[in-house]
Amino acid sequence: MQNAAEIVVQRLTKDYGRFRAVDDISFEVAKGSVVGFLGPNGAGKTTTIRMLTCYMPPSSGSARVAGFDVFGQSLQVRQNIGYLPENTPLYPEMRVEEYLDYRGKLRGMNRAARRQRIAEVAQRCWLTERLRWLVGKLSKGYRQRLGIADALLHNPPVLVLDEPTVGLDPSQIREARKLIAELAGRHTVLLSTHILSEVELVCQRVIIIGRGKILAQGTPDELKQQCARAGAAGSRLLVEVRGPSDQVLSAIKALPGVEKVQVLADGPVQSLAVVGRLDAQLREQIAALVVQRGWALREMRLGGASLEEFFVQITDPGTSQAAA
Amino acid sequence: MSRIMAVAGRELKSLFYSPVAYIVLTLYLLFVGLLFSMLVFIPGELANPQPMFEWNHLILIFIVPFITMSLLAEEYRSGRFEVLRTSPIAELEIIIGKYLGAMGFYCVVIASSVVFVLTLMAFGRPDFHPIFTSYLGLLLMGSMMVAIGVFFSALSEHQILAAMSTCVTLVALGILVGFVRQLVPTSWFAATQIRHVLGYMAIEPHMANFARGVVDTQNIVYFLTGTGLFLFLTYVVLESRRWR
Repeated sequence: MQNAAEIVVQRLTKDYGRFRAVDDISFEVAKGSVVGFLGPNGAGKTTTIRMLTCYMPPSSGSARVAGFDVFGQSLQVRQNIGYLPENTPLYPEMRVEEYLDYRGKLRGMNRAARRQRIAEVAQRCWLTERLRWLVGKLSKGYRQRLGIADALLHNPPVLVLDEPTVGLDPSQIREARKLIAELAGRHTVLLSTHILSEVELVCQRVIIIGRGKILAQGTPDELKQQCARAGAAGSRLLVEVRGPSDQVLSAIKALPGVEKVQVLADGPVQSLAVVGRLDAQLREQIAALVVQRGWALREMRLGGASLEEFFVQITDPGTSQAAA
Repeated sequence: MSRIMAVAGRELKSLFYSPVAYIVLTLYLLFVGLLFSMLVFIPGELANPQPMFEWNHLILIFIVPFITMSLLAEEYRSGRFEVLRTSPIAELEIIIGKYLGAMGFYCVVIASSVVFVLTLMAFGRPDFHPIFTSYLGLLLMGSMMVAIGVFFSALSEHQILAAMSTCVTLVALGILVGFVRQLVPTSWFAATQIRHVLGYMAIEPHMANFARGVVDTQNIVYFLTGTGLFLFLTYVVLESRRWR
């Protein structure tokens, strides 16, 4: 693990004046993996990424990318990183091909290498038929593809993508995710996002960050288990019952093993979220209870732990202290 | 070096893609044409283009800010500066690339005035030596003006602000310093020295020498140190932005 880590971040901190945007974070990204960098807006994702890509130096702590220190060997780091910044800033007056050629020149690629790589990345990012277009005339989806193509151009070992799917339509998002998933193995990818399904789909590991600190990290499955253990959603039963509301509520609350009942929707049909010990055979008990009282059981299902609930729980200022 | 040329080439092209380039060229030709027809192209007079070059800086003061305003300001505003800075290119390479790109366009602008020299040649036989030194002077003067423009473009995210502050600085160096120099009372302590320093700071006398056909090291040094100073200040600005 130590040797195979492509990105090593140690006690990284960034202050903007008195505001501490990133607070003493440490993590590692293994070679060839796709790691999701997850957090609400303003959590410090972009600041961390900007330190990793040598846009600005850290206030304290250190980071190594592809074996080079971001502060002391910034030029080598930049040579080994492909970076797609938020919002994909481009030159609207240039042609796609021209832009990629310019970017290749900035990375010191010779003419033959540029021509070959432009053809390759254009094909990879489905840009081939747009190479002669003006960048300013491209749709948002194509601009994003061009940004990714630019990041891939010099075939860097490390890719850093800051919110690559923002502003894309659903089919474009799917394409972008497919592309990112394809990059795994050949490249180490750090993907920043605040969209959870994205992380579940493409990332092998997740780092959740909030208010400048790392709140949790692990594989998506580990995080789900962690959240089940935290007693949140894993053991949650969603029950819909037709019956007198106060009676239904008190009867279910009285069952052994039930810890908490939350009313999701009231009325002639009750929608309840029941939290309790699953080993107490809650489902059988509830079913038996409803039949015994002569109510109608309309629906009962296990509310699976989603990363989304975990995320909300962990990044919510009120509860995060306990979760972290 | 290839990176510097990549930045410079891109900048030069993008200047030609924008309408600003053509407005600037038109205005320049218009005003140089005025100088030419009023002061140079006079029947019966000597074919002497000197006044046209001597007063050229008064036009360029208002032209150069439009060439340089977008160089860095627009990169900051659009977020492209982040792309540039995270590319494997040093700050100094960015600055020199931008400067050279703007200089390339500036050369096109001053070269356009060759049409007036050609007109003069059609009707008379002007002396080529001062014409040659005039263009050398315009090149050196432009170098300093462009460097000043690069500096102010690095200071702001707003092109207009960059253009205006460049313009104010150029007006101060090109016009105001000369006046202020006259206003220094002789009763002041070290009045002659102050006048001398102010006189050295002004653009006009340095350019006037070149227009007369005189190549003086003092004038060359003035323009080159001005260029160096402002490019260095730009470097300082970029470095300090990194730490904010």
